[in-house]
Amino acid sequence: MGNGNITLTINGEEVTAQKGQTILEAARGNGIFIPTLCYHQKISKTGACRICVVKINDRMIKTSCTEPVTEGMKVETEDEEIVEIRKGILELLLAEGDHNCLYCDANGDCELQSLCYRYGIEPSGSDFPKNTREIDYDSSYGLKRNENRCILCGRCVKACAEIQVKNVWSFAGRGSHAHLTSDISEKIGDSSCVACGTCVQMCPTGALSFQQVLGKGQAWELTKSSSICIYCGVGCKIDFYTNREGQLVKALGCDDGPNNGHLCVKGRFGFDFVQSDKRLKKPLIRKNGNLEEASWDEALDLVVSKFSGYKEKNGPDSIMSFSSAKCTNEENYLLQKFMRAVIGTNNVDHCARL
Amino acid sequence: MILVNDIQNVVDKWGNDSENLMLIMRELETKSGKNQVDKDTLQTLAAVMNIPESTVSGFVDFYTMFKKHPRAKFLIRVSKSGPDHIMGARDVFDFIEEYLGIKPGETTADGVFHLEACECLGVSSVAPAMMINYDIHGNLNRESLKKIFDAYRKKEPSFKSDCGPETYADACIIDNGKQTKRLLAAIGTVKAESIDSYVQNGGYAGLKKTLKECKPEDVITVVKDSGLRGRGGAGFPAGMKWSFVTKGDMQKYVICNADEGEPGTFKDRILMEGNPHAVIEGMAICGYAIDASIGYIYVRGEFRKSIELLQNAIDQARAKGMLGRNILGSGFDFDLFIKEGGGAYVCGEETSLINSMEGERGYPRFKPPFPGGAGFKNLPSNVNNVETFASVPMIMERGADWYKEIGPTNCSGTKLYCLSGKMKNTGLIEMPMGTTLREIINDFGGGMKGGKKFKFAHVGGSAGGILGEDLMDLPLDIDQTTKAGVTLGSGVVLVADEDTCAVDYLLQIMSFFEHESCGQCVPCRVGTSQLHHILKKFANRTAKKEDLDVLIKKATLMQKASLCALGQSPILPIRTMLKYFKDEFIRHCDPGYSCPECDRSLKRYYSGAGH
Repeated sequence: MGNGNITLTINGEEVTAQKGQTILEAARGNGIFIPTLCYHQKISKTGACRICVVKINDRMIKTSCTEPVTEGMKVETEDEEIVEIRKGILELLLAEGDHNCLYCDANGDCELQSLCYRYGIEPSGSDFPKNTREIDYDSSYGLKRNENRCILCGRCVKACAEIQVKNVWSFAGRGSHAHLTSDISEKIGDSSCVACGTCVQMCPTGALSFQQVLGKGQAWELTKSSSICIYCGVGCKIDFYTNREGQLVKALGCDDGPNNGHLCVKGRFGFDFVQSDKRLKKPLIRKNGNLEEASWDEALDLVVSKFSGYKEKNGPDSIMSFSSAKCTNEENYLLQKFMRAVIGTNNVDHCARL
Repeated sequence: MILVNDIQNVVDKWGNDSENLMLIMRELETKSGKNQVDKDTLQTLAAVMNIPESTVSGFVDFYTMFKKHPRAKFLIRVSKSGPDHIMGARDVFDFIEEYLGIKPGETTADGVFHLEACECLGVSSVAPAMMINYDIHGNLNRESLKKIFDAYRKKEPSFKSDCGPETYADACIIDNGKQTKRLLAAIGTVKAESIDSYVQNGGYAGLKKTLKECKPEDVITVVKDSGLRGRGGAGFPAGMKWSFVTKGDMQKYVICNADEGEPGTFKDRILMEGNPHAVIEGMAICGYAIDASIGYIYVRGEFRKSIELLQNAIDQARAKGMLGRNILGSGFDFDLFIKEGGGAYVCGEETSLINSMEGERGYPRFKPPFPGGAGFKNLPSNVNNVETFASVPMIMERGADWYKEIGPTNCSGTKLYCLSGKMKNTGLIEMPMGTTLREIINDFGGGMKGGKKFKFAHVGGSAGGILGEDLMDLPLDIDQTTKAGVTLGSGVVLVADEDTCAVDYLLQIMSFFEHESCGQCVPCRVGTSQLHHILKKFANRTAKKEDLDVLIKKATLMQKASLCALGQSPILPIRTMLKYFKDEFIRHCDPGYSCPECDRSLKRYYSGAGH
């Protein structure tokens, strides 16, 4: 104990954990799987979904995400009784909501789906009534919400409160009528939500999803490629997802970057320009009042002649450059070099904010 | 809509901290004149207090006493919980519909009355009962209801309670000279409004003796030795609980759980309204023992009268130097404040109560950490029930051995039993821990009402077990009840006669659990709803025999996996009810079976919109 290490037994094997760790953390640290739904390492513990229950010292049933490890503790993560409880909880969740993977964005990346698959739970066809909850697909430009797929784990509420510190989400109602509320409004679009999307990224099911994805690809169909955000100087790492048609449909914050998985509204949603049909792909020259396509040689010759003309007539300081944070550092360097060495002016500026 | 300035004034009065949200909300609701806190008010309040709108919205939505929609000048809340159900709550609803023309959720055309169904109001000895704004009235029948409504038409709403005299503390005690009175000795003798009266009757002697003669650790030893166990329901040894409070220089708190919501319980209310200084004195002694200088009494919002009498007692105790700095020259500082509930049974769970005190939704917290380590504001806090605290002064004054003279070895002392239902006499009695159901019904209840046959007793509250004839001689103490597979709980003894239908009664119990589940953990949130649904099927004769297995299976899962005692409890009434009345449930599986009781409940509570 002196060095802060604790020895306990998980599923018959002796493992070492740090003092102060929970059973879940100790198990994961030792490569032992315990299912979770409301738990997320980025937010404070909730202990509400109860799926992570384990058996301690052959008698107590406790949630592993909240129970601290103690010296000599004996933990069973998946005996018959525990599996029975987990199945029971999954059955309750399936009966409570309207979980249809057929038309859910999260298909393939849904923690509920994955656990139902693991424990062999199928919708029971039971006659238990469902409380129809809010569907809000239109009010926000960024977020979509279908609370019939919500398991009330509270990850979004805590993501908004503890990570984004915006406190838009809260639970409203009580008991079987509990549901989410954004501010006092019912619609996300009417609330103070800034659409950072942190809650969507933390949602274990398809209850919260992104506008752009709607109908363009389910999670399992998408291909991931990592990149760096083009907007500001933080350099957030983003995982971009493209669908089978090669369309960019979704951006998720990557945990490896300095952003630790977090993104702002621009990084999250500001990639529509990539596939915009208004994007410049060839040089255009205005002829008789109309922009017409031209070759690179023609365009560059025109720029050279115009710049040279101005420089001769009014001096180099009559020209300035203004470059963009969306360009790379190398491109920005080249531009200032060009201005100083070729044009001969120090009139260099940069947006440096976006 | 309430003006910004008015909202600002209310916030200034109570303080800008979100822990004052309940008191602020209550005052705004009263100010509205329509028993309402509307959306605009909430938005302004959030801005004025500089807290998120979602916090305010989530808060107001959790507590059933508040509503965002307008109600009326007078809000009638009729209890439909177990005791009221058995004693005629449905008749009350029938009469209100006939006389005022409104069903639950409706307002009279003249905008004077709005009707709601609610859970137990803590006056079960005079069930059926209702509350109009903050005034509780019991023993309701057609004549009394008519009189009450006619009187209210001429009244103006007031924030001060004006309860019916049948609910007064001394009126709710069965006085036949057979009781073993310790806690109740002062009720009716001591004037609740007067600290002088309390002191003349030996009050504050326990605190004086403690401060003069004991070190804090001695107090804990005496309380441990006395064998006093928590009277809220769980029966945890009080002295042990006190000893678990973290030691150190940090602020610590004494919290009194006066959220008496267990249907059928009314003992804490009688103590607060009959002898409030005993509670204050007990809390001060606890504060001394655990080195806490601040105490809170969390009183359920329905108990306006208890709140008024306690506040009066606190003010007097401060003036007399029994609260405040340097009490009785001992150097010990202790002050006491009242927190209020808003209509949530789950807030009787100590961690829910603490969350509610902090201005949060009353969600229970996972344990560990226990409140003794991290409670109110995450600081060490000791939570005990009203009856527990009220027992402490006499223990300190007369000693542990004296206290142990009464009651079994491991459950010493007396117990307050709350009698309600179909007995000739109903009310509060104090008897040695371990008094039997037979003694209670015969010696105090005066036998069954109207010569009817005993059917069952529901002991311990809605979360308690059903006791049949075979357990008539079971000593009702903490350990013996547990051993017999039932529970003493808070001391409720609700007696049902042959007219009660087992299915219909259990339906009300399951409706209660669904209504009161906080919705945080999955087993309880979905489980209570499913249990309620299965009971509805039995009531409307569409259930199959196998549904009984589903009932047990679901309730067992809830018992094993729920976060707090609320979800762990429904198995107990279900299992014990089926022990006696399985046949009756099976009879209800026949679509041709006639059950007027179930039909009445279905028509009253489950027809129309929303069902």
